[in-house]
This record gives sequence, structure tokens and C-alpha cells, in this order.
Amino acid sequence: MLKTAIVTDSTADIPDETINKYNIQVNPNILIIENQNFRDGIDLSRNEFYELLPSLKNPPTTATASSGSYQQIYEDLLNHGYDQIVSLHVSKQFSGVLNAASTAAQIFKNRVYVIDSKSVSMGLGFQVIESARTAHDTGDIIKIINRIEVLQPRIRLCAMLDTLEYLHRSGRVSWARARIGNLLRVKTFIEVKDGQARRIEDVRTRRKGFERLLNFLRSYEPLERLAILHSNAEDEAKKFLEAYSNNLKEDPIIVNVTTTIGTHVGPKGLGFAVVLK
Amino acid sequence: MELDPQITERRDYYRKKVIDGRALRNLVEAGLTWLRTNQEVVNALNVFPVPDGDTGTNMVLTMQAAYDEISNSEEISFSKTIQTIAHGALMGARGNSGVILSQIWRGFARAVDNIESLDSVAFAEGLVEARETAYKGVVRPVEGTILTVIKDISRAAEEAISETQDPIQLLEIIVRAADNSVEKTPELLDVLKDAGVVDAGGKGLYYILEGMLRYIDGLPLDKSAATVMPLSELFLDESMESIEPGQDWEVIVDFRLNGKLEINGFYSDLESMGTSIQFGEGDGFYRLHIHVPDENYYMPENYIKELGIVTKVAKENLVDQMDSRIRANLKAEPVLSPVEPGNIGVVAVVPGSGIAKIFASMGVAAIVEGGQTMNPSTEEIISRFDNLPTDKIIILPNNKNILMAAKNAAEFSKKQVAVIPTRTIPQGLNAMLRLVPDGDFDKIVSEMNEAISEVETGEITTSTRTVEIDGVKANKGNFIALLNGKMVAATESLEKSCLALLEHASACDYELITFFYGDNITQEEASLIVNIIRKKYPEHVIEMHEGCQPHYQFIIAIE
Repeated sequence: MLKTAIVTDSTADIPDETINKYNIQVNPNILIIENQNFRDGIDLSRNEFYELLPSLKNPPTTATASSGSYQQIYEDLLNHGYDQIVSLHVSKQFSGVLNAASTAAQIFKNRVYVIDSKSVSMGLGFQVIESARTAHDTGDIIKIINRIEVLQPRIRLCAMLDTLEYLHRSGRVSWARARIGNLLRVKTFIEVKDGQARRIEDVRTRRKGFERLLNFLRSYEPLERLAILHSNAEDEAKKFLEAYSNNLKEDPIIVNVTTTIGTHVGPKGLGFAVVLK
Repeated sequence: MELDPQITERRDYYRKKVIDGRALRNLVEAGLTWLRTNQEVVNALNVFPVPDGDTGTNMVLTMQAAYDEISNSEEISFSKTIQTIAHGALMGARGNSGVILSQIWRGFARAVDNIESLDSVAFAEGLVEARETAYKGVVRPVEGTILTVIKDISRAAEEAISETQDPIQLLEIIVRAADNSVEKTPELLDVLKDAGVVDAGGKGLYYILEGMLRYIDGLPLDKSAATVMPLSELFLDESMESIEPGQDWEVIVDFRLNGKLEINGFYSDLESMGTSIQFGEGDGFYRLHIHVPDENYYMPENYIKELGIVTKVAKENLVDQMDSRIRANLKAEPVLSPVEPGNIGVVAVVPGSGIAKIFASMGVAAIVEGGQTMNPSTEEIISRFDNLPTDKIIILPNNKNILMAAKNAAEFSKKQVAVIPTRTIPQGLNAMLRLVPDGDFDKIVSEMNEAISEVETGEITTSTRTVEIDGVKANKGNFIALLNGKMVAATESLEKSCLALLEHASACDYELITFFYGDNITQEEASLIVNIIRKKYPEHVIEMHEGCQPHYQFIIAIE
């Protein structure tokens, strides 16, 4: 049986146990705080990051891992028993990671397949986990790619941001600039679909937002998989999961999104990623 | 009832005349004139102790719009004339009463759709259809209003038709029936009883009909409607932005002549006094309109007194008026979002420039300024969205007086227009939160409808009379608090009334309180009160914004 390795970047937000179980290779993105580089999820914990955030004079920025680092990873894998590689990454609308990986992949003609997940966080994560399972079970790269193709259209990601400020500063979402002029303080709902982030609606209170988020989640039923996502809002995420009485085959997980995502959405974000049945 | 022989003579004379298009024009003019003469009487009947809905003014403007359509017409056909009248009334309809009035005209016009002249049977049929149409136009008809009056007079006409074939006698009968009906309205509507008044809209309808009868009977109507624009419309004329020097006062002199007028000499005399001269002739009445510099303040009326009998003089300070317009224009205009072709465009009606800016910041495509009385006409509303590059329009009326005009606008526009029945600013803002410009129209409309009930609205204003409403006593000058339109408190201090309102709204169960302060309170005063509220509700998020709305010191959103 051929052996296929699965590579992704740190925005996939996959829990550590799962990464270890399937030997998923995660190449971390870079967080830049006051000219210092931190590897996403490694050099700075999420807690430390959110504690630091309010006191920073200049907002943090992010960068992708270099093309060279991807090349290194692919080379290492191929030299250590893997026959081919599937490299799954965050939507190219949000980050330059895909480019970095694609550039690196060219050298390894036909042995490295770079795929745009058209999503982020667990939206990407679900695809990575599925690929890893299929790789573990069959090693068949065609099966893996088919699996991803079938899975992608069934993935939805929806989140309530406490403020649009961070998204606007990230410069990755053009409409955030226009909406920032809202004189009333609002929390904005966004939906990630087909690789783009779209604004759904606004709410004025967290309580209302919680309710609407539940409604949105229920509107996607029936569900196969569910991950509750948050940026430094663990308690609320737990309450949210409790409020959503579910009957899923696989237990839902709660994920505190990685710091590079946190930089772009800001703290107190709350949302979910689902795989539709 | 013994009639004055002069009146009897006039009625006999008019009985021989045909009630065609020309007669209708005179009758409408008479109804309009008499209503205008009594405009303030009707305005004063407005039950609610807040001058934010002037029934008399609204009905006059509606009737004026109707009359303007036919004033220069030579049409002889009764039905063609009344159809044009109905159209004009519809387009110019303002406020609830104005819109219902326009429906009355519309119904009447429908029933008599192919006659050259009116007879008693057509008259009665017209009134019946007017009643039907008026009721149909109201989602929840309330008795004790103009609806009851049209109902009662149509019934009186139906009964009388078996006894008389005389349209003038029929008119007399319905005028009496209208009078009785109006007097009985307090028995049907508690709000009227509590305030000790009859229904304003019903009274307005009565005046219109009475005016027609007075015309036939040769009784004075006190003002000629056959002249130029009424005073209020001159205010709306935006060309007053740049006023020539020497135009300090607008003077309007109504008079009767002692002899014939030598027009040329007359005009040149006037031209030495002032500018913007307009002269109108009616049935034995004349009206002169002129702008004069301050030093010529008394000249026009003194001049006229030598030619005839001055019946009325009205003066308006133009400089002061212009100053306030300039001051208003200095405040920045709200920046509206351009609508992508084919996307949903939202039109919001707003009472103040601050609120306009907030709606603009949320992405509305068009704004209708409601002004002091919050009574834009159907036409005004349509004009705001007609030119938008999309057929998908949503209207947020944000005031219960505007619902009908908004619904009319929806009906008459060729575009796909939905009206979200927002009755308050907070409801309108909440609905706006749900807008997704490229979303599915029906879905967005349904979501906006849902959003209305998700916020509680508080309003604080000054009581202009001593009343008892909803079980709450308010003295003139008190600050009254309204929760979702219902009066819940009246106190001598703004602070106390705000606190009382929040208590009644169970604000402790909510998390966000937003204050919009009006143009009758300073930012400092508003801040002081909001800070007191912050101390009382330390766990809540409290926001304050400049609303610039008239009449209401605060509009409060609780959510």
C-alpha cells in the first residue's frame, strides 16, 4: 500500500491529539508582534496572545511560512517512506500560504498535490482530518482527492465577530472597510463559503447574537460534524454547545482559534464549522 | 327646519344647475378653503399631547394637492374630474387622515366612473363605495375616527335616497350626519374621551363637506383658495436659499375691492414697495403676496386699505427663516450608500439629521426627512427611490403616522416594494441590521419583520396639555414617558421620567440601552442624564447618540 502524507498550515486549528494520531504535518504561519516573529501555536500561546493584545501600540500582523520551509517539509516526508503528499491549505483569498506551498510543490512533480480548502480554521481542519483518515486506511491519493472534492461543498463556517475592526485592519476583506462606518456598535456575522467571507447580518447585543448563531447552526441541520470556534471566549463557547442539543455520531469539539486567525478576527469571536450530512 | 330665504333661493338656483366637472371644481375649492380656515381647530384636536401629527395640516395639504390637479382644468365630465382629484389626493396624501381621505375620494371616483354629471343616486352610491374603499385601506380599522364618519354619512345617504332625489338636500343631510357622527366619536374611542375631544380626522372631513354646503348657501368661507400657493408651501420652496436684499418680510393681504382696480397703476405702485409680487383673484376676494424690506412693513396693507376692505394680513419674517435654513444646511449631509444595480435598496423615514446619519452609516440607499410633523406624502416617498438602479425596495416608515403613505407608495410604484411596519426609530434601526444588500428579497423582508419585536422603544417628550391617558395623569409641561407608544409615566423632571421608563420596560432584563437625544436638549444635558442612568445600571452597555429629532428629548432603544 502506498503511503500518503498530509500537510497543512496552522490555521487548520486541528486539536493536538488528532494531529498526533494521524501524523499530520503542520507548518505554522508566522505572527509578527512589534517586529518579533512567533511561530503560530508554538512560540506564543493563545492565552499569552490575548493578554498581550490590548496593550500593543501597533496591531500584530501575520505572514505565511516561507516557500522554502514547505520545500523542506515535502523533501523530508518523501525521503522518509512517503510516496506522495497532499498539502491542504487555507483559502487563497485569506492568505498567501497556498502560493508558498504551490511554489514548493513544483519541484516534486506529481508527488505533491496542493489543494485550496476554500475555507479556514476547522473548515480546513475537517478536510485535513478526513484526508488523514483516508490516507491511513487506503493510502490511495485518488481516493483522498475525491474525498476532499465531495466534502468541500458540504462545509460551512459561520461566526459572530465582536467588532469588525480587526477584520478591517487585516485588509483581507474589502467590505469590512465600508461597514466600519456604522455609528452604532454592532457585532457582525460572517459566513465563509467557496473561499470567501461574506457578511450576513449585524446584531446589537451578544445575547441576540448568541440566539442568531444558534438559529444559523440549526438551519444547517442535519449535520455530520460540528466544531464550535471561538477566539478567547471559552465559557461562551461551552454555553453555546450546551444550548445546542445535538445528536451527532461524532462528538463536537470546541476550538480556540489559532493566534493568526485571532489577529484578524479579534477577541470574543464565536462561531462554528460544520459538515452537512 | 326653517331656512333663511336667501339660502333657499340660492339652493333653488343651484338645483337647476348641473353638477358637472366645473361645479365639482368649485365645490372642492370651497371644501378646501373652509377646511383651511379651520385648520388650526382640527390641529388642536390632535389627542396626543405632542405636536408631531397635524391632522388639520395634513388634510389641507392632501386636499390642496387634489385641487391643484384640477384648478386649471376645463374638463366638463364629472367622473373625469373626480378621477383626477382622487389621483392628486393620493399622490399628495399625508398622515393617516390624509391617506384615508384620499381613499374616500378614490372610492367615490370608482363608483361614478362614467357620468357627465352627478345625481342623487350616484351621490349615494359614491359615498357607499367611498366607505368601502376607506375601510379596506386600513388593516385594523378603528371606530371613533374618520372611518366612522364616512360610514355614518354613507348610511344616512342610503336611507335618504328613498325619500329624496335632490342632491343638494342629500348634501345637507350628510353634513348633519357628519356633524352628529363627529360629536359621537368620544363614545367610541377612549383616548378621545379621556382627552375631552372629538376625533380630528372626522372633524376635518366634516369641514370639507360643510364647506361645500356653505358655498352653495353663499356663506363666507373666509379665505380664497383661488390664488397662489398657501403660506406653508412657500416654506418648502427651496429656491428661498438665496434671498435678494430688501426681502425682509413676506406680506399677504386678503381684501375686497370698493370699485374696479386699475391693474397697471396697481402693479407699479406695488413695485415701488417691494418684490416677488403675486396677485390672485377669487370670487369677489383678492389676495396680494409681496416681499418688502423692513422699513416698508406697513405699506402694503395701508395701500390696500385705500382701495378696499382688508380682511386679513399675514406676515412672515424671511430673514429669520433663511437663517435657520442656513444653520440647518451647515450640518453635514448624511452620506448615503450607492446601491449596486439589482441589489436591495432601503428607504428610511427619519425625524432628525442625527438619526439620518446613523441610518446612512448602516447602508440605507435613501432618506426621507419627516420634518416637524413626520408627514411626507406618498409622492415624496416614491420620489426617493424611483431613481435608484434597482427594483427591490424596502421602506422603513419608523412612525405609525407614515405607515399608510408608505403602503400607498408601495402600491403605486412599479418596483417591487415592501414596507416593514416599523413604528419607531429603534424598530427601524433593528430592521436595518438584517439588511444583506445582495440577499434574497423575501428572506430579508421576513427577517426585518421579525426584527421589529426584538427591541423595546422608549420616548420622552414634553406634554403640551394636561391629560390623562392610559391611566397616567400628566400636567402641561411634565416630561412624559412612552413605552412602545403607551404612556407609562409623567414627572416634573427629565431624569425621573427616564428612570421611570426604564423601570417600566424592565430594563434590568436587557443588556443594551441606547439614547438618541433630540434638538430640544443640549449634549451636556443629555450626557448628565445618561451618566445618571449608567450609575443606576452599571452592568449594562449604555450608548448615547445625537439624534436631532424634534419634540422628543430622548428616543431610547432597550435590547
